[in-house]
Amino acid sequence: MTLAELDAHQQQSLAELQAAIEATAIEQVRVRYLGRNGLLPALMKQLKDVPVADRPEFGRRANAWRAALEAALTERQAAAAPRETVAPFDATLPGRWPTLGAMHPVSRIIEDVCRVFARLGFTVADGPDIETRFNNFTALNTPAHHPSLDATDTFWLGDDQLLRTQTSPVQIRVMTSRPPPVRIVTPGRCYRRDTTDATHSANFHQIEGLYVDTKPVSLADLKATLACFARETMGPSVGVRFRPHFFPFTEPSVEVDFSCHVCNGSGCRVCKQSGWIEIAGAGMVDPRVYRLVGYDADSVYGYAFGMGVERIAMIKYGITDIRLLYENDVRFLGQFA
Amino acid sequence: MKVPVSWLSEYVDLTGLTVKDLSDKLTFSGVEVEGIEQVGFDRAEKYVVAEVRSCAPHPNADRLRLCQVFDGTTELQIVCGAPNVAAGQKVCLAQLGATMPDGSKLKKAKIRGVESFGMLCAADELGLSDSHEGLLLLDPTLPAGRPLTDVLPRPDTVFDLEITWNRSDCLSMIGIAREFAALLERPVKLPDVAFPENGAPVAQLATVRVEDPALCPRYTARVLTGVQDGPAPAWMQRRLEQCGVRPISLIVDVTNYVMLECGQPLHAFDYHRVTDHTIVVRRARAGERLATLDNVARVLDDQMLVIADPQAAVAVAGVMGGAGSEIAPGSTDAVLLESATFTAPSVKRTATLLNLKTESARRFERSVDPGLAEWASRRATALLVQLGGATVAQGVIDVDHRHAAPRQVALRFRRGREVIGVPLDDARMIQILTSLGLQLAEQHAEQALFTIPSWRVDLEIEADLIEEIARMHGLAAIPDQAPQSVAVAGADDAGVRAVALCRHTLLSLGFTEAMNYSFLSATELDTFDPRPTSRRLTLPNPVSADYAILRDSLLSQLSGALGRNAARQVEMVTLFEIGRVFWRNETDTPCEEERVAIGLCGPVGRTPLDRRRAVTNEEAALWLKGAVEALATRLRAGAITLRPVDHPAMEPGWATEILLQDEPIGLLGLLRSSWRHQYRINAPVAVAELKLLPLLANVGRVTPAQNVPPFPAVRRDLALVAPRTLPHGEIVATIKKSGVSDLTNVSLFDNFETKGLVQGTRNLGFTLEFRSPSRTLTDDEVNLSLQKILQTLKQTLPVEIREG
Ligand SMILES: [Zn+2]
Repeated sequence: MTLAELDAHQQQSLAELQAAIEATAIEQVRVRYLGRNGLLPALMKQLKDVPVADRPEFGRRANAWRAALEAALTERQAAAAPRETVAPFDATLPGRWPTLGAMHPVSRIIEDVCRVFARLGFTVADGPDIETRFNNFTALNTPAHHPSLDATDTFWLGDDQLLRTQTSPVQIRVMTSRPPPVRIVTPGRCYRRDTTDATHSANFHQIEGLYVDTKPVSLADLKATLACFARETMGPSVGVRFRPHFFPFTEPSVEVDFSCHVCNGSGCRVCKQSGWIEIAGAGMVDPRVYRLVGYDADSVYGYAFGMGVERIAMIKYGITDIRLLYENDVRFLGQFA
Repeated sequence: MKVPVSWLSEYVDLTGLTVKDLSDKLTFSGVEVEGIEQVGFDRAEKYVVAEVRSCAPHPNADRLRLCQVFDGTTELQIVCGAPNVAAGQKVCLAQLGATMPDGSKLKKAKIRGVESFGMLCAADELGLSDSHEGLLLLDPTLPAGRPLTDVLPRPDTVFDLEITWNRSDCLSMIGIAREFAALLERPVKLPDVAFPENGAPVAQLATVRVEDPALCPRYTARVLTGVQDGPAPAWMQRRLEQCGVRPISLIVDVTNYVMLECGQPLHAFDYHRVTDHTIVVRRARAGERLATLDNVARVLDDQMLVIADPQAAVAVAGVMGGAGSEIAPGSTDAVLLESATFTAPSVKRTATLLNLKTESARRFERSVDPGLAEWASRRATALLVQLGGATVAQGVIDVDHRHAAPRQVALRFRRGREVIGVPLDDARMIQILTSLGLQLAEQHAEQALFTIPSWRVDLEIEADLIEEIARMHGLAAIPDQAPQSVAVAGADDAGVRAVALCRHTLLSLGFTEAMNYSFLSATELDTFDPRPTSRRLTLPNPVSADYAILRDSLLSQLSGALGRNAARQVEMVTLFEIGRVFWRNETDTPCEEERVAIGLCGPVGRTPLDRRRAVTNEEAALWLKGAVEALATRLRAGAITLRPVDHPAMEPGWATEILLQDEPIGLLGLLRSSWRHQYRINAPVAVAELKLLPLLANVGRVTPAQNVPPFPAVRRDLALVAPRTLPHGEIVATIKKSGVSDLTNVSLFDNFETKGLVQGTRNLGFTLEFRSPSRTLTDDEVNLSLQKILQTLKQTLPVEIREG
C-alpha cells in the first residue's frame, strides 16, 4: 500500500458517499469504509507493512481521511434524514427572565453627577437631614435676619434644630473635621417650606460641591469644572455661562446657565427662547466661612456650587411636573429601567 | 422692583442704549430682569381728543348708544357700548384708518343696522392699562382734534428687577443709576436739594429723644408748615403708579417718591397730632397696642422699636405708621418729617412677627445707608417746598449715633487676579472700584486701600471688592480651560458606596426604586399603624395637615404605593425605597435613621405563562424573604432569620421580626387584609423594612477565598411527613445535629400537602449532601450516616419517614 493508493481510496470513498442519496446507501458506504471490517480499519492494520520512513505520513493521511469522511457522512445523513414533524423553536415567544428594577430618576441623576465629579477627584460626603442652626446658616455666613431663616421658609424643629434647607451643612461638617484640601460633592435631601406645585416640593434633593485648597483656585477653575460636568451630563455641545448673583456663603457668587441641550442655544420652548437654562448656583467660598470653620482665610482658596436634582431630572428627561417624581407610579418609573 | 426707564434716565444718561442693551447690562452685572413692560401711548396717527356732542339710545340695541362726536373738524356718528358715555365729555377717538391693538386698520362699520364712523376708546384699547371699565375720560378743557400723543402718557419701558438681598442700595432709581453709571462710565446726576429755611428754628418746634440708639443709629426730623396738601402733580402720580404705588396726596406721595428715588423710607407725621411735638424712639412695652395705618390693632412686644410721643406709640419704627397720626389727604398743613435709620435685624423681626411686608420694612430689613437719611430728608423737603409751598423750619434735628469713620477695605491685587482667574492689571481693578464710588485712599505696590461709600453697606471685606471687579469687568471674560483633577489623600466615601450597592442589588433583584415625601399626615400613619404616637416628630409649621408629621417608618408610604399601583391594574409590583425616618427619643431629641423598605404584590418570580394562578400567602412572604436574604448576602451582612411577632399593620400570623446575627433589625410580613381592601387587592402584599446601618456594617469586609472541594459529594434524598405546625427549620436543625460529620448540606426540594396525607400534615423532601475533605466516601459510609440521621429524626420529632 502506497501513499498514492491511500489517496485514491480517499477520493473513491468520498465520491461514493456523494453518489449515495438514500439513507441505506449512505449506511452502506459507512460500513464499507468505517465499519468494523471496513477498509480504513483494515488499512490501519497494514501500517506495519508500510516502509518505516513513510509510516508517520501514512498515519497522518489516514486520520485526515477518517475525519473528512466522518464529517461528510454526518452531513449526508442529516440531509437524508426524514424531516421531523415537531415544530421548530418559535423565537418570538416571550423570553423568561425576571423583570428589571428601575432606578428612580432622582437617584440616577445623583449617581450620574457623582460619577462625573468622581473622575475629577471629588468624593461623596453625607450628613444628617436634621441639622443645627450653626451648620445650616451661621457657619455659611447667613445673618440671623436673612429671610431664609424665617419659619415661613424653614422647618424648625426647635430653637437650634431644623430640617436642612440645603446640603451645604455637610460642607461645614467636613471642613470643621479636616484640614484643606477638601474636594467633595454632597448629594442629599433638603427641605423648604414650599407649597407643592408643578415645580416646587417641600422636600427635594440637592447636590453641592466644594473644593478648598491651599493653592490658588479661581472662578476659571470653577467654570472649567462645571463645563466638564455640563458636557458629560447634558451633552458634548452644552456650554456654560456665569451671571453675577448673591449667596451668603460665596463671594463672588454666580448663577450658572447651561446652553440649552434641546435647541443648542438657538431658543426653544424648554429654554423659554433664551437658549440658556439656569442650572446651578456657585461661587468662590466667602472668607467669612473659612473663619467660621477655623481655616486660615488668607491662605486658602476655594469654590462651591449647588444644584437641584429634581430640576436637572426634569430638564434632562423632559418631566413637566415634579410631583410625578414622588407618585411612585411604576408605569412612570419603569421608563428609567 | 419696578424701574421706569424714563425716570431712571433722570440720574444717568442712557442715550444710545436699546431696551435689550439695558436688560443685558443689568443681567450680567447681577440684577435679574424678571420682566420688561412697555407702557404709555405710542400710536401717533388717527387718535385724537373728541367731544361727545350728543348721546341717544341705539334704535336696535339696549346696551348701545348712538353718539354724535366732534373730532375738531367734523361731526361723526359713532356707536358706543361704554356705559359711562355722556354728552359733553372729552374722550379718546380712534378715527377711521387708525391702527388697532391687533394691527388692523379701523374701518367704517354697521353695528346693529346703524353706521359708525370711528371708535371711542377705553384705557385697555389704548394700551394704557388692563382696564375696560368704560371710556377713558379726558380733561374737559382739552380742545377737540388735539392728537392723543400730546395728551396721554408717553411711551415708556418699565423693568421689573429682582434685587439680590445684599443690595438694598439698588432698591432705588439712584441705586440702579449708579450701576449703569459705572458700567457705562458716565456720571450720576443727583437732583438739587436746596430750599430756603424761613420758619422758626426747628429746636423750638420739636424734640427728638432716641432711647435705643442700638436699634436706631440715626434719626433726623424737619418741620414744615403751610403745606398745601392736595393731589400730587400728574408726573409724580404716574411714576408712583408705574412703580406699583397708589398715589394718595402730595405729602404722602412725596415721601413715597423719595423712597423709590433714593431708597430711604420716610415718614410724615401730622405735626399737630404729635403730643408736645416730641418724638421718642423707644422699645414698645410688652403688650403695648397700636392701631396701624391699615386699621389693624397690633399687639407689640418689648423687642419691637416704636416711634412714640410722650403719650403713646405713633408708629412701628421702619415698618408702618399708626392710624392716629396718619396724614389723610388735605388733613393738615404741618408736617414732622422723619428720615431715620433703623437696624435691619430689628425691623426684620418686627415685620415678620406682625406679618407686615411694607416697602419701608423691605428696605430696612436689608440695611439702609445711615448716610442717606439727611439727603433724603432734604430732597423730600425741597419737593414739598416746590410743589406744596411749604415753609421750612430752620435746621434739622439729627440724632446721629453712627460710627464716625467710613469703612476702609484693602485689596491685594494678586489675590484679585487669583480668585477671578483673569489677568487684570492693577489699574483696571482700581478703575472699576472707583467707578462704583469707592475712593482710592492708599496705593502700594501689592495692594490698595479703598474708602467705601456709605451707600454700599454690603462691601465689608476684600472678597466683596473682588466680586465687584469680577462682575463689572464681566464674567464672560473668564477663560475656558481644561478641568483639573485633584486627588485628596484620606478622602473616603465607602459609606455612600455601600448604600449605592444596596440600591443596585435591589434593582438587580427586580425591585423598582420608589421615593416618597419625608412628611405625611397623622391619618395616614394612624391608618397603617395605630400604636401610641408620642414619639412621632411633628412639624411645628407644616405646609399642610397632609404633611404634618415626619415619617417614623417607610412602610406606610411604600405600602400605599404598592396599593395604588395594584389598584391601577399593574399585575406585579415590586418596589423599594431607601430613606430616612425620624422620631423623638426619650429625652425628646429629634433623631433620624436610614432604612430600606421592600415590598411586593402579585405573581413575583413566576414565568410569564404561570401568572394567573392565585398567589398564596406563603409564596408572597417567601419571595420577599428570599429577596432580603439575597440582599444580606450581597452586602455580606450575615445570616438573616425571621421570628414571629405581632404587628398591628400585619396579617395575624404573618408578621415577623428580622434578626441579623440575633439582633432585631427590621420587620417582614404580609399587610393585613383590612388594609389591602381599601385598594381592592385580594392578593397578599408582602413588605419588609430594615435598618440600613447594621445591614451595611460589613460591606467592605474581605473573607479569604476557600479552595473548591477536591472530592465528590454523595447525595441522598429523604422524604418525610411532618405535622404542618412543625417548622422546616427545626427539622433541618435536627438533621444537622444528628452527629454525622460528613453532612455538608441539607436542602429542601419538595414541600406539598396532598389529599392522601393525614389532615394537618405536609410532605417534605430533602436532599442531603455528604462530602469528606480527605477522601471519596463509599456508599456504605453514606448509608450508615443516613441511617443515623433517620434514627435521630424518628426519636426526636413527630415525623414519619417515607421510604423510597
Ligand atoms: Zn432651547
